[in-house]
Amino acid sequence: MQVVQTVFQADEVSRVFEPARGTIEKLTDRLTGKRPAIVQAVDRVSLSVAQGETLGIVGESGCGKSTLARMITGILPVSGGTRRFRNEDYDSFLARRRDALKVQMVFQDPMSSLNGRLKVGEIIGEGAVVHGIVPRSRMREHAAKMLERVGLAADSIDRYPHQFSGGQRQRIGIARALAVEPELLVCDEAVAALDVSVQAQIINLLMDIRQESGLSMIFISHDLGLIRHLCDRVAVMYLGRVVELAKTSELFANPVHPYTQMLLAGMPRISTERRTFMPIKGEIPSPLNPPSGCHFHPRCDRATDHCRISRPDLREKVPGHLHACLNA
Amino acid sequence: MNRAAFAEFAGRFAESWVAVASLVVTVLFLACALFAPWLSPTNPYDLARLQLIDALKPMGSPQVKPGEEIRANFALTQGQLIPEANATDFEVEACGANCFIVGLADSSAPLMSLQLRGLARDAIVDGASKHPIQPWWTLNAPENNQGKVSFETAPADARVEAIARTDNQPTGFIFQLGSDAFGRDMLSAILYGIRISVFVGVAAAGSAMLFGTGLGLLAAWRGGATDAMIMRAVDFTLSFPAILVGLAILAILGSGVEKVILAVVLVQWCYYARTARSLALSELNKEYIEAARGMRLPAWRIMLRHVLPNCLPQIIVLFTLNIASAISLESSLSFLGVGLPLTQPSLGMLIANGYEYIFSQKYWISFGPGIVLLIMIVAMNLLGDRLRDLNNPRFES
Repeated sequence: MQVVQTVFQADEVSRVFEPARGTIEKLTDRLTGKRPAIVQAVDRVSLSVAQGETLGIVGESGCGKSTLARMITGILPVSGGTRRFRNEDYDSFLARRRDALKVQMVFQDPMSSLNGRLKVGEIIGEGAVVHGIVPRSRMREHAAKMLERVGLAADSIDRYPHQFSGGQRQRIGIARALAVEPELLVCDEAVAALDVSVQAQIINLLMDIRQESGLSMIFISHDLGLIRHLCDRVAVMYLGRVVELAKTSELFANPVHPYTQMLLAGMPRISTERRTFMPIKGEIPSPLNPPSGCHFHPRCDRATDHCRISRPDLREKVPGHLHACLNA
Repeated sequence: MNRAAFAEFAGRFAESWVAVASLVVTVLFLACALFAPWLSPTNPYDLARLQLIDALKPMGSPQVKPGEEIRANFALTQGQLIPEANATDFEVEACGANCFIVGLADSSAPLMSLQLRGLARDAIVDGASKHPIQPWWTLNAPENNQGKVSFETAPADARVEAIARTDNQPTGFIFQLGSDAFGRDMLSAILYGIRISVFVGVAAAGSAMLFGTGLGLLAAWRGGATDAMIMRAVDFTLSFPAILVGLAILAILGSGVEKVILAVVLVQWCYYARTARSLALSELNKEYIEAARGMRLPAWRIMLRHVLPNCLPQIIVLFTLNIASAISLESSLSFLGVGLPLTQPSLGMLIANGYEYIFSQKYWISFGPGIVLLIMIVAMNLLGDRLRDLNNPRFES
């Protein structure tokens, strides 16, 4: 059996957000015994990415995908659980700043993810120069090389971000991430803000880069078609929890969790036959006050009393196919 | 900001003629401040050149040089007035018994006065006023620069002194805006006053900007207790009237340029801290900051190279407005007598100096500096307002 090295591993990571409170509010809350409303954005999520693998994370807005992405890249700390990079504890990994560059992120909004006050060459080259990957004298050269790698003209380095279109700016964002030689690229809805034709270009670019450099990717999206096209494995998230995790082909062929089944049923596809579109009934519940037991039970037509009480853990149905449904 | 963006910004700025006018006025004032030593006709700080004869001259008065005194002694012996050695400029002419005409030999330049001292009490000097106590007779603007002295009887022997005072000579210099109680040219004093006021305003607002922005960024970055402490200090400072804080500080430290600057900084830093904090907080939420964190850049670098430049436009607007308020605070403090030293008057000090003469119709001492201060502060405020409007993305004219 071929040994595949795990690049990144998250073990039951959680993230809790508390509302910002002033000193006086904190004091009165403590005196009255009132507990602040907390948001469990990510609730004990475990996943891993192997060398050269692309992991998709899919879910509705507000299900904690972006929070998870920021915990994976180390921009946000975890509230619980552990992260490991190449089997090394993540905190000691992050402490070595230069090595910590090996996890990079491509952001959703190409407008706000680039600092409008800096020239493109500076945006791309800054990280590499600060961490001594290239000397300052070679920053422009390095940035120009990265721009060419993402399909932009090398002379763009002296221009400002606002002089570019959305797709070009996203390429600049990718060039910035590539400039520090990452081993894991986390793309958080990297194409969601772009036109469909531009989306395809960016996706092709990401696939080319993956093929050239063999880097691992975590691709976060709510677009099932993209995920299917791009990813080796897919994790489906619902309200902060992973409800199903399997190989892409396996997940799309045999979805186990009712949520996944409903998502796939709602997926648009080209077919001549008329079919009825079945939206998932109900609204996504507020993460401030999530349902008990299985988070999905209020919207699930197979829910039993058991689902309302106990939290389902991920378990394996067939090897490599994990799901969190008590009734499957 | 690159060239195209600047051109667009300048174009939008120029849409308002009020803004352009205030920019021109502000630049003029800055030029006055910079070039005061070359622009001003006299150096008002040169105390040696001040003369009391020029004091309190109205606008447009010529400066004069005080006239000279020519002294001469005569001996009155046996009814004869005999010039002594130092009396070469004088002529004595007899006009009958016990009568002399004493005068300056050269009568082309009319004298302001001719005074005769030491005559006996019964002497009669035509047209002269006699000193109530001393034996002095003074002729104002004597005809032909001569005075006629006569006695009823033969005079006793005496030693007579004649003092001829020549008229004040105009120097050709005109006090365009009048002069103050020290004989200082108000135009020069105003130009130098602008220099001091602008220097204090810019230095104080600049220091307040550095200090306040630094603390604001620190509060935004650290959050929690640091943030709370800095922001409560801001609230505390804001709860005192600016003039009161300034008065208290100067009362403790004494007057002086650097102390006025310190007072203004302590009053104004809180505006910058509050603005910088709120701007930085909104910038810190943007994705490019997350990208910088993902690049593992040091905190100071993220704050100074990424957050600060994006906050800077609004802070510069605040700076423009605060220069005007720093100038007016300094003027108020100087007016109240705790600001700058009397020898280097700012505009506020000049107004204060003229204040006591206002009711004696000598309005020009306060009037000039007051108008200048008014125009300068209004222009700077209009300029700052316009910059603020342009910075507001919701602003559409």
